[in-house]
Amino acid sequence: MISGVTTLFNWTLKMDSKSVYPHIVRAGFAGAMLFAISMSFTDVFGTGSMGLRFFELVCTLNVLIITVSGISYFVTAVTEEKDAGTYALLRLAGMNSLSITLGKSTSRLVSSLMLLVIQMPFTFLSITLGGVLWNQIVAAYLALAAWMILVANLALFCSVRCATSGRAAGLAATTIGFFVFLPRISSAFLGAIPPGVLSTGTIAFLGSIPAVCSKISVFDRLAEILGLTSGFTILGIDFSTGLTTISTASIKGEVLIVAGQFWSSLLTALVLFVISTVTLDFWSAPADTAGPSENKSVRRWSVGRCWNLSVAWKEFLFFTGGRTFAIAKFLAGGLVFAGFRMFQEMDGYSNGLALRGDYSWWAFLTFMMTLTAEVLLYSSGCLFDEVRQQTQSTLATVPISSVRILVEKFAGCAIALIPAIVWIFITLILSDGTIVRNCSATMVSSYLIMLGFASHLAALLSLYTRWAALPLTILLATPAFFCMAAPILGLTAVTSVFARSHNIEVTLLLSSIINVFWTWMFVLLPLQIWIRDRWIALSQQ
Amino acid sequence: MSTITRDTVPAISVTNLSHAFKGHQALSQVTFCVMPQTLHGFVGPNGAGKTTTLKAICTLLKPNWGEVQVFGHSVRNDSVAVRRRIGFMPDHFSMYRQMTVFEYLDFFAAAYGLPVRQRDTVIHDVLTLTDMEGRRDDLISGLSRGMQQRVSLARVLVHDPDLLLLDEPASGLDPRARIELMEILRELRRMGKTVFISSHILSELAELCDSVTIIDRGQIKFSGPMDILLESPDERPLYNLKLATISETAMQRIKELPGVETVSEPEFATGRDYNIQLAPATSANEFLRQLLTLDLSITSFSQQRRHLNQAFMDLTTRGVRT
Repeated sequence: MISGVTTLFNWTLKMDSKSVYPHIVRAGFAGAMLFAISMSFTDVFGTGSMGLRFFELVCTLNVLIITVSGISYFVTAVTEEKDAGTYALLRLAGMNSLSITLGKSTSRLVSSLMLLVIQMPFTFLSITLGGVLWNQIVAAYLALAAWMILVANLALFCSVRCATSGRAAGLAATTIGFFVFLPRISSAFLGAIPPGVLSTGTIAFLGSIPAVCSKISVFDRLAEILGLTSGFTILGIDFSTGLTTISTASIKGEVLIVAGQFWSSLLTALVLFVISTVTLDFWSAPADTAGPSENKSVRRWSVGRCWNLSVAWKEFLFFTGGRTFAIAKFLAGGLVFAGFRMFQEMDGYSNGLALRGDYSWWAFLTFMMTLTAEVLLYSSGCLFDEVRQQTQSTLATVPISSVRILVEKFAGCAIALIPAIVWIFITLILSDGTIVRNCSATMVSSYLIMLGFASHLAALLSLYTRWAALPLTILLATPAFFCMAAPILGLTAVTSVFARSHNIEVTLLLSSIINVFWTWMFVLLPLQIWIRDRWIALSQQ
Repeated sequence: MSTITRDTVPAISVTNLSHAFKGHQALSQVTFCVMPQTLHGFVGPNGAGKTTTLKAICTLLKPNWGEVQVFGHSVRNDSVAVRRRIGFMPDHFSMYRQMTVFEYLDFFAAAYGLPVRQRDTVIHDVLTLTDMEGRRDDLISGLSRGMQQRVSLARVLVHDPDLLLLDEPASGLDPRARIELMEILRELRRMGKTVFISSHILSELAELCDSVTIIDRGQIKFSGPMDILLESPDERPLYNLKLATISETAMQRIKELPGVETVSEPEFATGRDYNIQLAPATSANEFLRQLLTLDLSITSFSQQRRHLNQAFMDLTTRGVRT
């Protein structure tokens, strides 16, 4: 068994060193460091504890990169063998389940842990900058390492459980998302339910969820280590469970180097590893078992005739789910709206159909998040779906230009967004004005710019990577937001000065048009050209 | 000024086609021509440049050098017109597995701009031709490999192209599906289509094709009618004689006929088969007339032809291209 493990370990290390993706992850880590240093440099005159700010940023980016790696890099450990149909060959070579799980997962974990280790000397710079002590740095890196081990083993479990890399990535993303948001959801649910509706046992169970999650939450632990009374935030969103214990000692930097989060993460990771090893055989059927069949495989409903815009029809009906799914989404939106309306009623506010205050704001945010998720999912999948099914060459021989194919694909996906957009407008119309008060013009234009950029980036990345387009987009779009904001605002300022010098009044509409134009010209258009060229290149392969 | 009619314009005309990928010369001065309403085979070892040539013809690839024309339209400058007249079937399954057979064909018919009413007729016709009418509402994911290949062929035919470009259409098919596919291709030729078929199955190509092009290491080794390729490479033809019964004196008696140079038995002799080489001045007719006077019970008399396998081996180079 030992020789099997070492062979697989060495081979995986070699393959990883030849593959592009691990180098992208490493470049991501290096970029994160550079980004953190540059951000801290901009803060040099604005804060008294620059070292803490720098280190907090390093930790934030590390958490982000580790989480994204879990969804994209670690998750293919076993599924890449299943996808390539080589899993059976490994078994024929005499490798047992333990050899495979150990050999395939540990090499990636070790190379990723090494990235954390080599960061450490650079982050000791934050001690010199002030605001953080060496024991805080060591404790934070141990917390991050434990989080990485947990995420890697969760990804391994998903990789064992699922037949393809895509499904495994989906399961890993859902599980991590569920873990991160579960404490908030359970607390919000408990807060919203009137007394007497739920049994004492259920209330106790729901009440214990945040405490359990807090024990293995890297966000809580980092907030504790860094003495962050505001909680651990990424892009302004607090991911802590709300049960972080910030003592005077932790604010002073006197923290335990190894705490409960480290041990509980390792224990959970070990349990996941054991389950993965034990269930490997059971879940390792070939990826594509839908072979030749004499039995008729039919669909019971018709999708209707193909439109004249055939590619848009195909995208809408077969990629986004079609009319049935669109109606289901619309009805689900109605249920969400009715749910917020019901909670408002329970709170004692009856205002006809309208939502007021926080209820309208949270309903609006829910629909906006749904729209964002849909846009990112569609943009990362619509081109990749053709690559996966090897249909680009067939599509390229029809007498439709590549640009029109891409535009029709966009149109097909845009139709599927209608339910979410409709509910955003309904919420806006039926709101008491809170949404309009909370949304500044800058916020709206920033959101639209970022959505446009992220969707283009996801589409482009999906033509290069197999399943990692979406997590990579999130990873790249985060720092890109800071990089793009300044030039766009700068260009807008230049335009404003130019307009004023020619006695042109810069209205909100005009400035919005200018912003959109600059964004399209300097950000989206180059991406669009890149997507088209890559699409054509793939069609030729 | 000369008038060019449709039949005088080649279906495919490839002139001095060259293409390189990252320093690797995939095609070098490839020149050949395919006449309309013929079944043309395109053969070569793995990595010879078959798929690259096919991609250049079907507008997927812009070659570095040379000219490709399809029915007189330049692939480089008039790709939309070329696409309307060709149907390309790649060497891999390129299908939307979540669609039914009808939806798949309807999608491509719409992509080629056919109106709804015409689509119904066309889809019915192509499904009948490929014998898939009974499975029109089946999901593609549930079809066997042979059936998926038929659906691919039906897809290629929905816009009634004049030229079909088929890249390894029989690969991975069982013998029955292969024979049935060849029957469909014969039927398409009878319907007036030009079929350009790249394949490794030489025996089937020899039976099926009117003409053939052999490519090796990016260069054309032969292009022309199949008959010419299969003729014996010797200047003087060799004839095969087959008798119904074994005759001990037959060989000696044939040797004594005027104009006969040599008579030999083939490698695996049965006592009834003979290879006959005639003198340069002797015609086959004259020899046959004299042969009948010997009163032997003759079953067959034919000119010996090379097998396509042999021609292929003679023209191509051993080993893998590096």
